[in-house]
Amino acid sequence: MRASALIAGLYPPAVRERWGTEISYEVSESGIRSWPNALTGAVRLWLHPSDWPETLTGQTRRVLAVALFAVTAVTALLMRATAPSDTLTADLGHPITSLWLAPILLGIGLASPLPRRHAFRRLATVTIRTLAAPTAAVLIMLLAANSGLIEHPTGFTNAALLIYYWATLAFTALQLCTLVARAAPVATLPTTRRLCAALLFIGTGLALATGQSLLTITRTAPHAGPITVTLTLGLLAAATIRAGHDLRLRQMA
Amino acid sequence: MHSNDAQMLVLTVLAERPLHGYAINTAIEELTGRKLGPGSLYGALSRLEARGLIEPADQVPEARERHRTMQITGPGRETLRVELEQMARVSRAGLSALGIAPA
Repeated sequence: MRASALIAGLYPPAVRERWGTEISYEVSESGIRSWPNALTGAVRLWLHPSDWPETLTGQTRRVLAVALFAVTAVTALLMRATAPSDTLTADLGHPITSLWLAPILLGIGLASPLPRRHAFRRLATVTIRTLAAPTAAVLIMLLAANSGLIEHPTGFTNAALLIYYWATLAFTALQLCTLVARAAPVATLPTTRRLCAALLFIGTGLALATGQSLLTITRTAPHAGPITVTLTLGLLAAATIRAGHDLRLRQMA
Repeated sequence: MHSNDAQMLVLTVLAERPLHGYAINTAIEELTGRKLGPGSLYGALSRLEARGLIEPADQVPEARERHRTMQITGPGRETLRVELEQMARVSRAGLSALGIAPA
C-alpha cells in the first residue's frame, strides 16, 4: 500500500469516506513534506469527534463506541505485557492497585451498544460469526497448555508458542472491536451523553493506570518496556479525556 | 496554519463559487501565495461541513462520491461576514496605529 493511501486511511471513517481519495492524492503530489501536516490533521480530527460530518445517522457514535473498545483492548494487552506488577494490577486480590479498572469497566458499560428487544436472534448470529474463530483459537491454546504434550518448550517451539499466544490475544481483541461495529445495526447505540461520560471515565481510569505505572518506573531501574507502557497509557488517557471534553462542549453548545 | 484560519480561507474561496477539494486549495494558493497542507484543508472542510457552514453542491449521491464539490450555506455566509467585519475592524485599528491610511 502506498504511503499516501496509508495516511489517508488514518483519518476518521466519515472524513475518509468524503475526502480519502483527495487526501491521498494531495499527500502523494506534495510528497514527504506534507506528511507531518496530514498526520497532525488526522490526529486532531480523532481528538475532536464533534468535527466529524455524518454519512449515516449515528455514525459518529458507532465509531466512538468501537474506538473505546479498541482503547480498552490495547490497555488489556499492555497489562498482559507488563504482568506481574506490584503497583498496577487487575484482580480482586489487590483492590487498591486494581482500583484504576473500576472507571474503565464503568466506561465500557456505558459505551456498549444495548441489544434490541426484537433483534436478539440477529445479534446472536453476528456474535457467533464474529467470535467463532477467536474462541477456537483460545480453545486450541488452552488444550495445548493443558494436554501435557508441551512441558518445557525450548528454541523454535517456545518462540512459535509465544507468537501463537500473542497473536491469539491480539486477534481476540480485534474481533471484539469488530463485534461492536457489526452489532451496531442490530443494537441500540449509546447516546452522545453516555459516550461522553464513557470517554471521561475510561480516560480517568487510564490516567490512574499511568500514575501507577509511573510508580513502577520510579521504584525500579528504568527499562524500555515499562517506560513504553507508561507513555502509551498516558497518551491513551490524554486522547480519551480530550475527545470526551470535545463531545461535552458540543452537547453544551 | 491555525485551523480557524484554514476554515476562514475555505469559506472565503467558496463564497465566490462552489469548488471541489483540490480546486479549493488552488484558489487559496492564488489568494495567499501558498497552499494549505492536506491535514489543514480537509480538517477545515470536515469541521465546516459538520457545523453546516458548507454542504455538497451535487444533490445526486453518485456525483457527490466522484467530485465532492462543496458550496457555502446561508449560515456559512453569515459566519464569514461576521468574521470578515471583525477582521476589517482590527485591520483599520492596526493601520491607524501605524499611521497608514486604509486603502
